[in-house]
Amino acid sequence: MREYLIKRIIQGIVTVFVVVSINFFLFRAMPGNPFMRFIESQPRGKVKEMVDIYIKLFGLDKPLWEQYLIYMKNLLVGKFGYSFRQVGVPVSKIIMERLPNTLILMGTATTLTIIIGIALGVIAAGRRGELADISTVIIGLTLYSIPIFWLGLVFILVFGFWLGWFPLWGMLTPGKYFSNPFEYAVDYLWHMTMPCTVLVLVSAGGWALITRNALLDVFTEDYILTARAKGLDERTVFYKHALRNAMLPLVTMIALSFGFIASGAVLTETVFSWYGIGRLLYEGTMQHDYPVVQAAFFMIAVCVIAANIIADILYAYLDPRVKY
Amino acid sequence: MANEDVEMAPWKRKVKGFWEAFKRSKLGMTGLILLLIFLMIAITAPIIAPYPVYGPESRVGIPFEPPSNEHWLGCDELGRDLFSQLLWGTRVSLFVGFLAALMATFIGLIIGIVSGYFGGVIDDLLMRITDIILVIPGLPFMIILAAVLGPSIINIVFVIGILGWTGTARLIRSQVLSLKERPFVEAARAAGASDAHIMFKHIMPNVMPLAFAQMILGVSGAVLSEAGLSFLGLGDPTHISWGMMLHYAYEFGALHIGAWWYVIPPGILITAVVVAFTFMGYAFDEILNPKYRRRR
Repeated sequence: MREYLIKRIIQGIVTVFVVVSINFFLFRAMPGNPFMRFIESQPRGKVKEMVDIYIKLFGLDKPLWEQYLIYMKNLLVGKFGYSFRQVGVPVSKIIMERLPNTLILMGTATTLTIIIGIALGVIAAGRRGELADISTVIIGLTLYSIPIFWLGLVFILVFGFWLGWFPLWGMLTPGKYFSNPFEYAVDYLWHMTMPCTVLVLVSAGGWALITRNALLDVFTEDYILTARAKGLDERTVFYKHALRNAMLPLVTMIALSFGFIASGAVLTETVFSWYGIGRLLYEGTMQHDYPVVQAAFFMIAVCVIAANIIADILYAYLDPRVKY
Repeated sequence: MANEDVEMAPWKRKVKGFWEAFKRSKLGMTGLILLLIFLMIAITAPIIAPYPVYGPESRVGIPFEPPSNEHWLGCDELGRDLFSQLLWGTRVSLFVGFLAALMATFIGLIIGIVSGYFGGVIDDLLMRITDIILVIPGLPFMIILAAVLGPSIINIVFVIGILGWTGTARLIRSQVLSLKERPFVEAARAAGASDAHIMFKHIMPNVMPLAFAQMILGVSGAVLSEAGLSFLGLGDPTHISWGMMLHYAYEFGALHIGAWWYVIPPGILITAVVVAFTFMGYAFDEILNPKYRRRR
């Protein structure tokens, strides 16, 4: 177990290293240098002297390998460099401002998704072939097929524009004065309701299906037959024998779903102007602010990789049959 | 009939059995019919679209005009007919979806076969690479790659296809692991067939149904990715796709004036196309996955 843990963590570090390297070289593979792209995207066009100063400032005149070494060294101590756009602002500061918003939104949405999805899947599997099961499959597949950003637009149109129940975007009511933290939290949560609901709706269907199929898989196993032959009642068979074993593939699916969650975060945060890491990645890309883009991608990738490692370790811990 | 079955090559018999099982799946057939409708729309778009969608002559109405008899789904911010745009958009979505899924499946197929067949160091190396690609967060990476490569349809296809092969590679590899122990591979080897010959003439036909099923499932993901990238403004501005329509709707404030005719229809069509492929993929999965078969 201990050996496996170490092996798995080393593997994770290698993965991060590869992703970080891709992250570095991708922007250097662009024609011209990254800063020129940024300058060209500015309304005033290029100013020769200014460009030269900035290229020196950001170290873009150094040889590629030296830039790479500096980049790696800085990452190790948590430095992401400086933003092209917001001159003099360290990217790590921007990231730190944005990170809590993403963690709160995605954490809430993911927790709700998993609970609702698993509950629906359990209900469907228990009634295999009945109406509740068939509608779960069809609705689940359809929800999975809805583009998340579009569902966000529809929600803004219906619940924001027409009904006026929820704000159209943002995280806090502009210009509002909060007399205590509680008021602040209420306003924050009120803004979070729509993006969170959209995220849950789109992903819960997939969860229900995975749970249902995992349970049905388990039902074909011999130990379920044994449990029934022993005379255990269906309830015990279902919860003590079937569900517990079906949780194993679910843990793997939780890990794999983090990539999907990251994609959902970028689109949902963009649609609802939720100032998190996902929206930062989008803004940075649009503004050619590459240090910000690199850092945002790095944060997302590290979270996904870490989640994968945790899920793998959890799996090994939960399943006594797995020997490493 | 029975004789015919025996004379057929094993993979041909497999395909036939596959189709027989697929025909029984209501979900699968619903998907197939939906797909055929969209294919028809894509092919006939230039004929059935009431107005032109490209060039200056496409400005046929008033900007943000609501639906009317002349313009069934109203007009966009430049006064272009939205119904015609929807029909044309089918082409880009299906084209990108198919091509990206084809590319991903092809890479996955080759890597899966080579990895499974040779085993050892090659297998280790290829599977490590697969593991790394598998955990790269999809859309964020696509956004960066698309931004670096620049907006064009082929780039979008490439960006989506280059990441989407990992699942296929793993699945094909595990199939090949069991296939290569079968007698017919042994026989081919004894007859002096080369590795390449065995891999592509003997093993590949046997994993094709699985690869095909993976491709169909891949299309749904690819269509969604294209829509997402285009919505974020990374799509090809010279072509109309449903994602691009939603991008313009959002950018030009369709939400602020409640222009539902601009926002709702493209999303319904994206969902419908993705549903078609998801339903078909689900049916394939039920047929090909031996665990489900046992239950019947």
